[in-house]
Order: sequence, then C-alpha cells, then structure tokens
Amino acid sequence: MKLTGSQAVMESLLKENVKVIFGYPGGAIMPVYDALYDYMDRIIHVLVRHEQGAAHAAEGYGRITGEPGVCLATSGPGATNLVTGIADAMMDSVPIVCITGQVASHLVGSDAFQEADVMGITAPITKWNYQITDANEIPEVFSKAFHIAKTGRPGPVLIDITKDAQFATFDFSYPKEVKMESYQPTTHPHPKQIELAAELLNKAERPYILAGHGVIIAKAEKDLIRLAEKGGIPVAQTLHGVSIFPTAHPLHVGFLGMHGNYGPNILSNKADVVLAVGMRFDDRVTGRLKDYLPDAKIIHIDIDPAELNKNVQVEIPIVADAKNAIQALNKEIKKRSHSAWIKEFQKCYQLEEKKVIQNECDPKKGKIKMGEAIYKLNELTKGEAIIVADVGQHQMMAARYAKFVKPNSFITSGGMGTMGFALPAAMGAKYALLHPPNGQVSDGKASLDREVICITGDGGVQMNIQELATLAQENLPVKIVILNNDFLGMVRQWQELFFKKRYSMTKIKNPDFVTVAKGFYLQAEKVEKREELMGALKRMLKSKGPYLLDIKVEKEQNVFPMIATGASVDEVRLE
Amino acid sequence: MKQIYTITAFAENRPGVLYRIADLFLRRKVNIESLTVSEIEHTGQSRFTILVHAEPLLVEKLVKQLYRIIEITKVIDSLDQSLIIKEIALIKITAKNLERRREIEQLVHLANGKIAAVNQSYLVVEKTGTEEEIDSLHELLKPFGIKEFVRSGRIVVFK
Repeated sequence: MKLTGSQAVMESLLKENVKVIFGYPGGAIMPVYDALYDYMDRIIHVLVRHEQGAAHAAEGYGRITGEPGVCLATSGPGATNLVTGIADAMMDSVPIVCITGQVASHLVGSDAFQEADVMGITAPITKWNYQITDANEIPEVFSKAFHIAKTGRPGPVLIDITKDAQFATFDFSYPKEVKMESYQPTTHPHPKQIELAAELLNKAERPYILAGHGVIIAKAEKDLIRLAEKGGIPVAQTLHGVSIFPTAHPLHVGFLGMHGNYGPNILSNKADVVLAVGMRFDDRVTGRLKDYLPDAKIIHIDIDPAELNKNVQVEIPIVADAKNAIQALNKEIKKRSHSAWIKEFQKCYQLEEKKVIQNECDPKKGKIKMGEAIYKLNELTKGEAIIVADVGQHQMMAARYAKFVKPNSFITSGGMGTMGFALPAAMGAKYALLHPPNGQVSDGKASLDREVICITGDGGVQMNIQELATLAQENLPVKIVILNNDFLGMVRQWQELFFKKRYSMTKIKNPDFVTVAKGFYLQAEKVEKREELMGALKRMLKSKGPYLLDIKVEKEQNVFPMIATGASVDEVRLE
Repeated sequence: MKQIYTITAFAENRPGVLYRIADLFLRRKVNIESLTVSEIEHTGQSRFTILVHAEPLLVEKLVKQLYRIIEITKVIDSLDQSLIIKEIALIKITAKNLERRREIEQLVHLANGKIAAVNQSYLVVEKTGTEEEIDSLHELLKPFGIKEFVRSGRIVVFK
C-alpha cells in the first residue's frame, strides 16, 4: 500500500502494538503529527510539557510493561531535551524508542534552523540509533529498533527521520521478523557453568543471593523465589531489585547498598558463595571494591557479557537471560536450609530496627519523618501500589520502607540518579496500567485500579513540575507525595557529614506547592501535623483524579544506615 | 602491565560504527595508536584494526564493551606474537643531486623498499614491513632530509 513516510511511522507503531506515545510537536516532526491526526482513535498521544517528561514517561511505560515506551519530539531542542531521559534509560536498561524529526536531508550538516547532530549526541547513550533519510527504510528500521530496544539487555533506541523522508511516499510493507546477523544476544546459559554454579551453591555454608533489575526484566521473580526456598538462601535486592520478593517473605533480607539495610550490607563479607543475578555490582552496592566479598566464590548471571568481570572478578560467569539461568539452576540445586546464617540477618535487622527503623517509622514526637510517611502509606495501600520514587533522601526512604506484595512495583532512577524522573515516570507507569500494549492486561480490573504513587522531594518535583499540566489535561489519577524538608536533603546530609555542615546552596525557598498544584487545576493538600497525616493520605487515595500531597517533614533528618563513599560494606554506619 | 594489543573488530559497514568505537576508547581513556578500516570484499562488513597500549584487563573489558555495539559481529584482541603484521610507509626526500640519489637508492634497496615516485627535485620511498623495519629505514634516511613521512598504521592477519 502507498503511504507517506509519516503514515508509515504510524503504521509501524501499530505493527509494534504501540498504544501510547508521549511527545511534543515542532517544525521538523510536523508531518508525523499531521499523520497522527488520522490515527488518534488507535494511538493515544500524551502531550507532555517538556520533552524530558516524554522520555521519562516512556521509561515508566517501558518499566511496567517490558515493551518499549515511545516518545516523539522535534529536531534540535526537542531532541536534545530528550537526552537526560535517554541516558537514564541507558543506565537502567529500560526499553524506549525515541522518534525525532530532523531537518530535510539536503540541509543536514549545514547548521540549519533547529538542527542538532542528534546522531552524534545520542550515540554514547543509546543502545542503537539510526537516521532515516529515505522513507523506504522506515519499516525495516522500526522493526529493528523495537527488537533491539526490548531484547537482550534492554535499552533506548533513537530513530531520527528527516522531514523529506516524512513527506515522501512509498510502498509500505512491514517485515514479519527481524533478521540481524550481528545482534544475537545469548539467552541460554552454558550447561557446564550451571553445573559448576549448582555445585558451589549445594556445598555452601553461607550462600547469599543478590538480585537485581535483570530478574524483573526477565520476569523471573517466581523462579528466584523457588530457588531461594529450595536452597534455603537469603536474598538481598538492589535498588532496582526492590519488589522482586514480597517484602514479608522470610528469605527476603532487605535492600543493598549505600543506604540499604544493615544486615544485607555487613553480612555480604561473611558469605562464602554469592549468586549475583541481573545486577551489575554498581559502586553504590559494593562500597570499596578491594574489601568486597573477600571470602566468597561468586557466580554472576547477566545477559550482558560486558558486565561479567567488569567491577568484580567472579568465579563463574554465566551469560544468560535470568529466567533461563535460574530455571536451569533450579533443576540442579539441592534442598538445604541455613537457619543459623539466616538468623544472623534477623539479628542485624533487630539491631537496625532498634537503632534506626523504630525512630524513623514510629516517632512519638517532633515533626513528621520521611519513613513514617511511607510507613503510613503502606498501611493504606497494603503494598499493592506502584511506587515511583525520585532521587534523593525520599528515594532511599521509599526503597527502605515501602512494602510490596507484587513484583515490578518500585520504579526509580538508579544508575543516573536523575532528579525530576518520578513525576513523568509515574505518568508513564499509570498509562502502562490503563493502556498496555495489545492483550497484555494481566489481571484485568485490578490492574486498571492499581494506584501509582509518585514519591518525590521538594527539589526533585520542581525539576519536571510542568508535567502537572499534562496530568491535569489527561485527568490521569497519579498521586504525588512530596516529602518536603525545604532542603536539597541528600546533598545537605553529605554536607553535614563530610563537609563540616557548610550548607552550600542546599537550603531552598519553595513555592507553596498547594497553590502551584491548584494553579494547574490539580487537587492538593498540605499536611504538617502527625495527627493529620493519616487523614490526608486517605483523602489523597480516595480522590478520583491526580492529586498532590505536600508533607512537611523534619528538616535536617539523615538517612541511615549509610556506607560512606570509599568505605567498605562492613563499615556501614547505623548512626 | 601495559602491553601492545591489536584489536580486530568486524562490523556491518554502516555510518556511525567508527564513531561508537572511538567513543568507547575515549570513555576508557585509551589512546588509539593506529587505526585502519577497510571493507571486506563483497560481505558488507568492515574490518577495523586498532592498535592500543593498555593493561590486559582493560583490553578484556574494552573487547566486551565493543560487542555492545549492535553492528559489531566479532572482536579479537591479539598480542604481536600471534600476528603477521605489516605497515606501509611513504617517505619523501629532497634529492637534487645524482650522487645523493644513488646513495638513497642503495639504502632503500638494502632495506627491501622501493622508489615509488621520482622527479627532478625529490623522490618518494615506499617501504612495506613491520613497524621496526620502517623505523630503522626512517632513521637511515633522516640525514638526507625528510620532507614528508607517512605511515598507514598496521594491518594484520592471524597466524
């Protein structure tokens, strides 16, 4: 069938089961927007207020569905505004496809109006990018782009389309399958490696599983729970691994890393066999490398061979999809229990509870605390909500104290630590629940009604606050909780601990967020008193549309436990 | 300890692949000592020969990270002992007087090079060989006054 390049873009999106796109129009992408006008019954376009919002929203969509989130922007500034979101998706292995307009091909390279070297700019932060200058390339490039974005180690892909290619007409037919000689991720583990890994685990006295984002991407949560239960192995989760295990599971010992739980960090160095799966030994997890896991033999499963032996030298590297590898291990693993070892984690937890958690989550006096707010929220959501956290103290509090009963319920910017991520990402997550790619609604109405709660800070929320307008326009029921301490809290904490309390540029004068929200036509409320907190949270969850709750919390509160930069995991501080 | 490595990468012949390869070396702060690229006949594939001076562990990481580039099909890192290595150099020397020309011709002949071009005011010496052979001919010719000295960077085949 004869189509214009722009119509071909729409048809290609339909072929890839795309239901929602996040975007912002502009000169060089206008033909595509014109084509969209005839597809609005089949594709929902969400008009963000800044392209960065589109990229993060696509990430939120991609994280929840496992299918690429799609964003659309114009050339030049439209494309460069996507950059932070693309880099974020690259670091956190999130499937997104970004489509950008480009000036006409005869103008490319001539410093034309709104021309930017998007290919050059995004090459280091995309898994793949391609510039289409001929409409005939559209079907093949789109099918490749979606395939690359969601398979192997997922990541961002960018397609740049010149304006003349958007206008040109050609005979459209979409490839049935993607054939790429050069790109064939290894998904099945080597049987010998599995055998060796099982042997190590079966003999271990203090085995320990570190579970990361890869487990969620591979949808291997149940397989991992089975493995842990069979082998009697305690499991700690990385920041992106949070919610793999239900919080209450007896083998789930907590959250790893700089502000993770005490036991999972300090006991790392007592483990004799470590199974790391779908995680990448980030410096926030390992602390000082030369003193990390001194006594452990390490098995590392990752789909990206470049992650194996990158930061930590391992005994048994396994290149595979986490689900395949864990299922293979499950067949080899013996039934064991390690109750004395698990008891050590429990003891550590009791100590952490006494020293940190009690005071954080159930303080009797003073201002509201961040952990307390999350704790109260848990009581109301029963762990059913999807929590989307921004970056900073509130993020660590959310990772530490939010409770989960379902996997893939915690979304945040981990690798990149992008402030301003949460509000647009929460938007994308909510769209993922309401309008998933074809036939993917997993649990029907329950999924439609699932709350998406954005936990953010007073600093972070202002970094993409324009998206409140998008929420209002779409009447999208995302709940926004600001844990507001009138400080850039995490930086302030570091200044207090490592820079002699010299609070350089961390004290901020905030707007009245309730007035701001109301200006955007959102419902909003501010709460300052402990006795009013529960009521305010209830009103937020009862409300029908988008809602902002500004919770004023203690100003100079620190997140503990903490492993200082450059310290070893066994130097984790409780106070 | 740092060593000389030749990294041979095979990739689909498309614009942008070299950009991504170069960027990876930049991120890892590894200088590319020499680089040659050519298309392998009728395959649509390019062959990159990259010479670096780096630690073995870093080279191992670089190789794995190169595989992340979608178009790359194969990467091999090698030490010199497992390679047949050749490079080509062109050396332009001013030589107006006949006596000097003779001397140069003799030297070049001894060093297994050849005269690639000649006119009244200069001659161009062409030498194919290992980097050391080229270096040594370069040294020998220096006293004659070298106007230009260009080398191609190594190409290799595996032993």
